Amino acid sequence: MKKSLLDYILRVRLPITLFIIIASFTVTYFATRAERDNVGYSPVQPINFSHKLHAGEMKIDCQYCHTGVELSRHAMVPPPHTCMNCHSIAKKDSPEIKKLTAYYMEQKPIPWVRVHKVPDFVYFNHSVHVNMGIKCESCHGDVAQMDRIVQVHSFAMSACLNCHRNAKEKLPYLKNIKNGPENCYACHR
Amino acid sequence: MAENLDNQNNNEQPKESDSNYWQSFKELYKDISFTEAKKLEFQKGVEDEFDVDKLPAVSRRKFLALVSASAALAAAGCSDYNGNGKIIPYNTKPEEITLGKPNYYASTYVDNGLDYGILIKTREGRPIKVDGNPDHPVSKGKTSAKAQSAILGLYDPERLQQPLRKTTSGNFMKSTWQHVDQEISKSLSNIGGKEISIISSKIISPTTLKVIQDFQQKYSGAKLYSYQIFNEEIKNSAWKKCYGSGLFPSIKWNEAKIILALESDFLGTDGNKVESSRMFAEGRNTSDLDNFNRLYSIEGNLSLTGLNADYRMRLRPDLQFEFVMSLVHEISKQGISVGVDPSILNQYNLYDFAQKNSLYGNVLQLLVGDLIKNKGAAIIYAGRSLPENVQVAVNLLNEALGNTKLYTQDTIELPNSSLSSTSDWENLVQSMNNGEIGAIINFDTNPVYHLPSDLGFVEAVKKVPLIVSLTESENESSELAHYVLPISHPFESWGDAQTRLGYYSMQQPVISPLFYTRQKEEVLLAWISGNYKENIYHDYLMNYWQSTIYPTLNEMLDFNRFWLGALQRGVVNTGNIPKSVGNFNKEVLVILNQNQSNISGYAVFLKEGYATGDGKYANNGWLQELPHPVTKVTWDNYASISVATAKQMNVEEKDIIEITLDDRKLKIPVVIQPGSADNTITIELGYGRSKCGVVGQGVGFNANVLMSKSSAFGPWIYTSASIRKTGDTYDIVSTMEHHPIDDPLVSGVVKERKIILEGTVSDYKKNPKFIQEQRSMDTATLYNRLDFPGVKWGMSIDLNKCTGCGECVISCNAENNIPVVGKDQVKVSREMQWMRIDRYYSGSAEDPKVSLEPMLCQQCDHAPCENVCPVAATNHSNDGLNQMVYNRCVGTRYCSNNCPYKVRRFNFFNFKDHFRDGYQESNLFDLVYNPEVTVRSRGVMEKCTFCIQRIMEAREDAIRDHKPLKGSDVVTACQEACGTSAINFGDMNDDKSEFYKFRNHELGYYVLENLNVRPNVTYLAKLRNTHSEEA
Repeated sequence: MKKSLLDYILRVRLPITLFIIIASFTVTYFATRAERDNVGYSPVQPINFSHKLHAGEMKIDCQYCHTGVELSRHAMVPPPHTCMNCHSIAKKDSPEIKKLTAYYMEQKPIPWVRVHKVPDFVYFNHSVHVNMGIKCESCHGDVAQMDRIVQVHSFAMSACLNCHRNAKEKLPYLKNIKNGPENCYACHR
Repeated sequence: MAENLDNQNNNEQPKESDSNYWQSFKELYKDISFTEAKKLEFQKGVEDEFDVDKLPAVSRRKFLALVSASAALAAAGCSDYNGNGKIIPYNTKPEEITLGKPNYYASTYVDNGLDYGILIKTREGRPIKVDGNPDHPVSKGKTSAKAQSAILGLYDPERLQQPLRKTTSGNFMKSTWQHVDQEISKSLSNIGGKEISIISSKIISPTTLKVIQDFQQKYSGAKLYSYQIFNEEIKNSAWKKCYGSGLFPSIKWNEAKIILALESDFLGTDGNKVESSRMFAEGRNTSDLDNFNRLYSIEGNLSLTGLNADYRMRLRPDLQFEFVMSLVHEISKQGISVGVDPSILNQYNLYDFAQKNSLYGNVLQLLVGDLIKNKGAAIIYAGRSLPENVQVAVNLLNEALGNTKLYTQDTIELPNSSLSSTSDWENLVQSMNNGEIGAIINFDTNPVYHLPSDLGFVEAVKKVPLIVSLTESENESSELAHYVLPISHPFESWGDAQTRLGYYSMQQPVISPLFYTRQKEEVLLAWISGNYKENIYHDYLMNYWQSTIYPTLNEMLDFNRFWLGALQRGVVNTGNIPKSVGNFNKEVLVILNQNQSNISGYAVFLKEGYATGDGKYANNGWLQELPHPVTKVTWDNYASISVATAKQMNVEEKDIIEITLDDRKLKIPVVIQPGSADNTITIELGYGRSKCGVVGQGVGFNANVLMSKSSAFGPWIYTSASIRKTGDTYDIVSTMEHHPIDDPLVSGVVKERKIILEGTVSDYKKNPKFIQEQRSMDTATLYNRLDFPGVKWGMSIDLNKCTGCGECVISCNAENNIPVVGKDQVKVSREMQWMRIDRYYSGSAEDPKVSLEPMLCQQCDHAPCENVCPVAATNHSNDGLNQMVYNRCVGTRYCSNNCPYKVRRFNFFNFKDHFRDGYQESNLFDLVYNPEVTVRSRGVMEKCTFCIQRIMEAREDAIRDHKPLKGSDVVTACQEACGTSAINFGDMNDDKSEFYKFRNHELGYYVLENLNVRPNVTYLAKLRNTHSEEA
């Protein structure tokens, strides 16, 4: 039986084309996933502040600077005023501290580049999580080892739900933790 | 009595057998077009304007959209893929601010000569919501719709931003404070013995009065004139005549068992509404039936008070004197000594009067019986608009019946602050014409718009060489001024107020002035001292308090600590006890011996605008769009007339008529109002502003032109008007028939479908289960019965307390970022308010009974909206809420179509952009938004969320404090604003809570219960306190 052109297209070209499309989609999907979720994002900041130095080596508590974290939905990036508590004396001559002092003296805020972000329509609440005993590193990674802040985990809705649905497994250090709410109004209003 | 019985028989109030509820005439008369239209979720033609072919090729909007879209595209192409923007912290964070948490400041809002204690919620330094101050002895945690809406006025981009100076060509030029201060002080100093007239509204601040005195000391020719277009002057002067001194007292409404309101809207615009509605509702407690009050209302036009009356009769306002005298006569015949010469009284006969004016004789008989039976526990209250002789007769009746027990003589007026009399104004106008006035200072007033035209103020003022207008935004008077000086909003100002014995109310700013404005006292102080410095009035206020008021208080604290405490609480209690009511001066009764002036033609009654006040609030979109509590009309005023009068005039709704009073004329459209007295035309003032911001400009009709400086019945009531039909029509927009939940083709549907269940107090006494017996049995359902362990949210609305005032609607607007849509959009049912107050009439069109029902999302357990949503954008939460997820919504509107309560609202536009050509796009308006609630955009459905942001905040606090979340931790915005505490909210699974009692109340029912959608809003059936033997 003579092979027709149609037969050839159906048996060979179509499967190959489909395979290439699916394969490239799959590869792209997985290869770019981290990129799309912003994982690994680590922008250069206006002042070269090191969490590794402050939180890691000096063991300054997160809440010394991020004062809102137990009180409100915003963790709060500290105002230069907080930095000056120490840096009006400590390491005054370092070039980065000079930058900081300049911002402070000129009454200008520091334009930090935002790393972690959830969309505007998500009302994520820091205080609820922290007051439940969830550690900062569970979402933000081991900040105490980062010279420059980098995003470690995805902040997509699937990532939130993954933890809300499997709290015990994801947060083994909390014995009595219950699963988080999964209803829409928990985050969207 | 016997001779009266005949009269009564053919003049009885019909017995209540008519259970046909209706909302509009079209419905009452079963108009086919209406019934057809009602079946449609959205009106016909509602989508026409979205037809692309019909749009002009490149409209302004389209052009801008294209420009911005291409710019956005270009920007997106170039920007950092991962860019998340910046985080800008404070440089030095103010200590009191925690980002994301509100701060509350106590202050005072002054409106129409009354002080309202308010609590202003600020977020990161910007005010976003106003509620009542619980520490304020009169407001007690509640406030008025106008004070709540003032927050929108603060961010009005049309406020004046810097001083203006008129050039020789007559145009205004922007100027600086320094410049205008210099020029004006120089002119004032060189006034050369001429008078400087300061025109103010009623001053209730002792410190402001002191500033004016200082000003008068520096500029000896200065004289203060004050007016208040709506005021209590007649009441007060009658009081002085009767009792020698003092002002008309405040009333213990909560202790009154019988209330007779004569042309008085004390629940709406008459007096301190916040106080009177709170106390009135305290007397309508279903758990205390023996002290349930009974409200009789006799009025010309259906008012908010009339809506709530147990018995209501119609009477044109100019006949009230005859009525009251007839009542006095009838009461004296029952053996109560009234001290009026019998020869005067014999001219009047109550039942003849009733017969002549179609009042119900049987109701009057009950009224007289009630008044006599409840001596000392009844109050007869004459509206502030009624003439002096009526007020005197009413004072006499209260005195004779011993009702003076219900007076609290604590109202006071500051010395030298009384309003100017008509002759003062006439003298001023004459002096202006004679060139004796050197300068006019409009001290935050608008006399050109307000003063009666026959005073000739406008013509005369043009002859004054220097006119300075201190105002927040341009108005009719500032147009004539040589200098227009922008003043700060009350929320940017300092102040104090005193209207009652026993306390001072304190006002503090909650935000620095947004523009180059000064508060009005600062402007005068700068001219007194010659140089302005920041905080000049704050320092003055503190000094005045320290030197004058603080020493009188016997405070233990030193002044600075006292002062901070006073500001924090918002009130300073002085502990003065009310004075006793003096002796009634019988000599005043000669005033009753006068024949009433001629009553003929049509009576015209001018009322305070429910939304716009005296016109001050005309530029406020929230208030303009608040449906009028009675007619549900938005964005307009109108002449309200009765059915019979409309027939007689041969006019229909929306026809424009011309009203003529002497030589004063007004063209205004007609609204036919069930329950209006015949031959009475009622018009609300505060509309038709010719110089105002874009929101209020040209909205409605300026009925101030009908006012005259002299009228036999006072400034608000006129008789002998004549009417001409002009043949023109005008579109009046009412939300009355929007979002109907009944089907008018079915007779008696409101009752059949259990939309409204109600009864009388005696029904309830006889059988406490009478409402439960009318409720539908639990029917079978296809749904799985859901369990809600833990907290389950619910609401109850006590219809015995709801007065239908609409405070909740405004509060909801502010809390939930609800846009203003404008008249054109309200016309096609696109208003966005999440709450509405459904108002049903029953009975006849002439004398309807009224039932009110606030309607909002019922958060049904088996919500019909949920299973028609193709994208699950609306679904159920495990605490019993019907969730609406804006980001999932694709705008099919199926949910709205399937909602039996018609409470879902669709964003046909990005209304922020659409209203008044992008007026609300101003960056300033962004500041008014509640940051805890999403601002919705075009194409998205929305509805009441039970204030989910407040629930989440309570949950957050509970988790922080390691306590379980309780129902009482959450107060919804509508509940907080409800002046009568009709709304309750809580956890229906908590059987120990207060809310549980309401949820499972004997009077509780669900609207449309037989649909078995299991709503979570319980209504407590209204009980009318009528006489059982009558029903």
